[in-house]
Amino acid sequence: MSDGPLIVQSDKTLLLEVDHPSSKECRAAIAPFAELERSPEHVHTYRVTPLALWNARAAGHDAEQVVDALVRYSRYPVPHALLVDIADTMDRYGRLTLANHPVHGLTLTSTDRAVLEEVVRSKRVAPMLGARIDADSVVVHPSERGRLKQALLKIGWPAEDLAGYVDGQAHPIELDQSDWHLRDYQQQAVDGFWAGGSGVVVLPCGAGKTLVGAAAMAEAKATTLILVTNTVSGRQWKRELIARTTLTEEEIGEYSGERKEIRPVTIATYQVITTRRKGEYRHLDLFDAQDWGLIVYDEVHLLPAPIFRLTADLQSRRRLGLTATLVREDGREDDVFSLIGPKRYDAPWRDIEAQGHIAPAECVEVRVSLDDEERMTYAVAEPEERYRIAATAQSKLPVIRRVLERHPDEPSLVIGAYLDQLEELGAALDAPVIQGSTTNKERERLFQAFRTGEIRTLVVSKVANFSIDLPEAAVAVQVSGTFGSRQEEAQRLGRVLRPKADGRQAHFYTVVSRDTLDSEYAAHRQRFLAEQGYAYTIVDAADLAGPGEVNGPDWVDEPAD
Amino acid sequence: MVTEPGRPSRHAGPRRSVERMPPDQPATLAAWLRTRTDEQLGALLVARPDVARPAPSDVVGLATRLAVPVSVDRALDELDAATLQVLDAVLLSATDGVPRTELAGQLPDVPAEVVDAAVETLTTRALLWGDADLHAPEPVRRAVRYPAGLGRRATDLRVPLPRDLPGTLADLAPDERTVLDRLAGDRPVGHLPDTTAGSLSPARRLLQAGLLARIDAVNVELPREIGLALRGDRPLGPPRLRPEPEVSERDPAIADRQAAGAVLEVLSRVNDVLTALEEEPAGLLRSGGLGVRDQKRLAKELRIGEADLGFLVEVAHAAGLLDVGGAQRDEWLPTRGYDAWREQDLADRWALLAAGWLTSVRLISLVGQRDVGGKAVNVLSPDVVRQTAPTLRRSALGVLAEFPPGQGLTAPELVALLRWRTPRRADRLAPVPDLLAEAERLGVLVGGVLSSGGRGLLTGGEDAAADAMRGLLPAPVDHVLAQPDLSLIAPGPLVADLAGTLAVVADVESSGGATVYRVSDGSIRRALDVGWSAGELQDFFTRASRTPVPQALEFLIDDVARQHGRLRVGAIECYVRSDDHGLVSQVLSDRRTAGAELRRLAPGVLVSGLGADEVLTVLRTAGYAPAGESSGGAVLTRPKAPPRAAGRRPGAAAAIAPRPLAPDDVAATVREIRAGDSALAARRTEPVRQVPGVTTASTLELLSRAVRDGVPVWLGYVDAQGSGSQRMVQPVSLAGGFLQGFDEGRGESRTFAVHRITSVALADAEDAAAPS
Repeated sequence: MSDGPLIVQSDKTLLLEVDHPSSKECRAAIAPFAELERSPEHVHTYRVTPLALWNARAAGHDAEQVVDALVRYSRYPVPHALLVDIADTMDRYGRLTLANHPVHGLTLTSTDRAVLEEVVRSKRVAPMLGARIDADSVVVHPSERGRLKQALLKIGWPAEDLAGYVDGQAHPIELDQSDWHLRDYQQQAVDGFWAGGSGVVVLPCGAGKTLVGAAAMAEAKATTLILVTNTVSGRQWKRELIARTTLTEEEIGEYSGERKEIRPVTIATYQVITTRRKGEYRHLDLFDAQDWGLIVYDEVHLLPAPIFRLTADLQSRRRLGLTATLVREDGREDDVFSLIGPKRYDAPWRDIEAQGHIAPAECVEVRVSLDDEERMTYAVAEPEERYRIAATAQSKLPVIRRVLERHPDEPSLVIGAYLDQLEELGAALDAPVIQGSTTNKERERLFQAFRTGEIRTLVVSKVANFSIDLPEAAVAVQVSGTFGSRQEEAQRLGRVLRPKADGRQAHFYTVVSRDTLDSEYAAHRQRFLAEQGYAYTIVDAADLAGPGEVNGPDWVDEPAD
Repeated sequence: MVTEPGRPSRHAGPRRSVERMPPDQPATLAAWLRTRTDEQLGALLVARPDVARPAPSDVVGLATRLAVPVSVDRALDELDAATLQVLDAVLLSATDGVPRTELAGQLPDVPAEVVDAAVETLTTRALLWGDADLHAPEPVRRAVRYPAGLGRRATDLRVPLPRDLPGTLADLAPDERTVLDRLAGDRPVGHLPDTTAGSLSPARRLLQAGLLARIDAVNVELPREIGLALRGDRPLGPPRLRPEPEVSERDPAIADRQAAGAVLEVLSRVNDVLTALEEEPAGLLRSGGLGVRDQKRLAKELRIGEADLGFLVEVAHAAGLLDVGGAQRDEWLPTRGYDAWREQDLADRWALLAAGWLTSVRLISLVGQRDVGGKAVNVLSPDVVRQTAPTLRRSALGVLAEFPPGQGLTAPELVALLRWRTPRRADRLAPVPDLLAEAERLGVLVGGVLSSGGRGLLTGGEDAAADAMRGLLPAPVDHVLAQPDLSLIAPGPLVADLAGTLAVVADVESSGGATVYRVSDGSIRRALDVGWSAGELQDFFTRASRTPVPQALEFLIDDVARQHGRLRVGAIECYVRSDDHGLVSQVLSDRRTAGAELRRLAPGVLVSGLGADEVLTVLRTAGYAPAGESSGGAVLTRPKAPPRAAGRRPGAAAAIAPRPLAPDDVAATVREIRAGDSALAARRTEPVRQVPGVTTASTLELLSRAVRDGVPVWLGYVDAQGSGSQRMVQPVSLAGGFLQGFDEGRGESRTFAVHRITSVALADAEDAAAPS
């Protein structure tokens, strides 16, 4: 009986004991084919899915390596049936390849005739195929390249796309590394992407995804279209590109609701592209406006469905997806796989945190007891009102104030979901409020003031869920949210994970009303954060020590030696 | 071989030469048996044990027993294809009595030692007899329906052969020739395809040309002569030598490890299933199985496929861990055996499952398949009982046990070998691939190779199986790892009492080598409900977890415990209340009211487990003036109404009109009258009546005459349900106690058991045409 760190479960989850001497080695061996699902303190859970196995195949791993890794590190005998199943699943990838034929153009070729026959007969796939060339290959309409890959994945025969890419219009782009350097993992991510041609790079919030994008552009040296979630994030990209590359302001265009510039490097928002007038997409021309050599998708996990459809037509262009998580709440991970590409690089949060590239965070749940009047209001409220009543309870206000007093000199964010509550907090804390209706100009101004330290506290609504960049936020206090959504949690946590200039610890507070729905949702959050490996403590509001008091925050803020 | 002095012609060695053959060869089977040595007769009884009990009184009795068709069939069933081919050679020869020496000549492709061994096997079993010349007893001839895959003779089939057979065959169209070649292969009987409008199918053309014989409405047979002509110089077909299967090889150590993986898997799954059934038993269907709804529920609960669940439930049942129980005996519940099983070590647990599976008469692979009515067979349904299942499992796995450790056969190879070994039972081999797949899931087999445990099971039974598996399975662990996300990880199989406790305080999230439990407010509440206190839970987690108990878990327990039990529910029969709290206290402390069993629930409220009437009486007797109260709070002053019986409700008069006659009933009645009428007419030709179940010679004679002359008969027939009927039948064949014929009244071909025929009468032509 070997004594490995890994336990293989019947549902194809893998449990990795972190404290085991060979856990690091094992992690490296299983990372290519298993998605990290949870990473709490002692035992991490990975899941082996067909998509993950195909990702591994795309990255050049074969079934033998996978089986070997499982058998070698497994503590207990692995059921033979499970290994056979894994080998069979992996074997499905690459039976079909898409390639360019000198005479026939784009063709679908198979090494296994039976598979090709099955595919040709499939109702879903047949309309995308042209004439049969011989027993092993069939012509594909070039315009169907993306949709075909999508359909093939759905029927369980993912195709390997070797048809190559157009170079696009050349445009000189270099990284300007005079005062900074690309980190190792960023370089590995770029290399992984470039070698694979197209695909997704998974990096945690704050790990410098923008720089991976910039480096990929410097590699492509061609005109680039960057798709981002909103205007603020687009401006952030522009600022970074000007600072970190040889690109100048004139070379970068903004294509948004406000401006419609098309330049060698164009940054467009998802929203403007998906705007429809009279049922038609108005800005499709953008994709043909330039002979793009690279398309970058920021925050792939938020990519709206219409853009998937558009992306299907762009299969001959190199595509780079950037995201913190491949988990989509709409379950369209397979579309990301077939249309943007397989995962090319993945680094777990904790590892990058351990390297000091993102700030370590302390998560604290502060429990507030409602006063009798609030409890009665809550008790008699309609079910759909209950969460709002609990989350926006007045009793939270003094606690929020006390939390902020613990960190008098830190830039702090107060994040909430209900506008009247935010207005109230803004007034009580004497802090500006940023919400959906705040103009971009005003946002920029406030963010700038926050960055310079002019403003110490900002009250923000759900807009904070998306890609705004607040490098120096060290404390986040969330007072209400969207029913414990995991994605929201990841984004909010990301606000405070940007590395601090002096390596200080980040603080992530959640203020919760005890014994209400609010605390039930907090349980979801708590589970999510614990699964991500963050220390999570629960404190009673009455026990919340101020600075300098016993258990107060002072000592945690000292830099670690 | 021992030869007794004075009886020189008794033994039948395979190498007896013609020259030495004495002139007084035995003339009958009985006479030949008389010449056999005691050892040879002993070998005969060992090979055909069914004739030995009860002991035959003499050789004639033995010969009679040996001629019983069932016994012959059983003996033939155990022969392999090579031996049967030698038997076919004897059966096909033109004369009865084939000299041994000529036999090898008829099978030029078969090595002489194979022929000799086959003859030895056949004579040992008295399926052939004779020393110099080999004879086949008549029952053997009858039992081998199509020797060497050839049909009956043309004369028996009443088909006139074309004068120039080779010429006719040479002139056939290619598609016709294909049909004939196929029928000249293993099986001379074919199914006639449905008539398509327009052109005739090749088979129908052949039928018209007289090259095929029709044996019933849908089947045709190829006459032997034509089959032989098509086969040319290999009248017995290709030699049926033992196939040389491709041996699968596996490192025995790796195979054992993989088997151990399967074992852990199946053990934890079976345990999950039984735990789930313990919590919520599945209902017993009236037809005896476990309902589809329960199957779906369990599969969903355990996150496995429904078919997988069916397998696990069947395995648990076969091992005696699951059976019908409950107060009404209408539920599937874990048995007492399950409690003992849980306490055993893993190897013993597995051995019990594997042995239960091996000896089970239930063919699990039939579960979920559709029966003739199109209904899927339920899990645990009595419909899948097949008495041959244990033999089949043992014989299939037995073949693999003949290989050295690390070697085995894939399922198709194994089936091919079994098909050669027992060709007459080939139709029973269909479940073999499924049985092998089950063996793989149980860890008995890995990729066609027996694991050490599986080998132990076959050779030494349950204990040997457990011993062989013991070293391969991990020792149980006695701790879990508690994590901040409120999951508990048991890094291996748990000791039984810890597993039992965890089943209460946490929910299983994933199982396999380890078990992942999740603690939730629901699971903590469940633990509190069954009597745990918050302190005990904290203690338990501290003791059971090797890692520090996370703060979140402590908070969770306290949160739930704080809310738990704030509302209390109890059962009482009545209450006593008053706004005058002093009075209530007085009643409670009054010794005379002790009989009312009152206790104080709240100020001003007393409750009692006795009925309101009794309490009222006690209080009145004690000198108080209580009043009854309705549920609305009103004072009840009036006495209850005197009791009355519930009378019949008016207006519900019983229906007295007779049920109207439906059109179907009318038609059936008319049909019966007509049938009786025709039967009466047919009796002109002296019907043969018989006592049901006793077949008289005259019945058979009349029937065989009808078959020969192709004359329709009136049959009085009792069907399996016991209802009698009269039918006009055009007989086709009479064999083995069954009459094949075309039932004119029902317009279909049918088979009638002769012993169910109550009367037979040859019908006249006008009867045959009469409507029925």
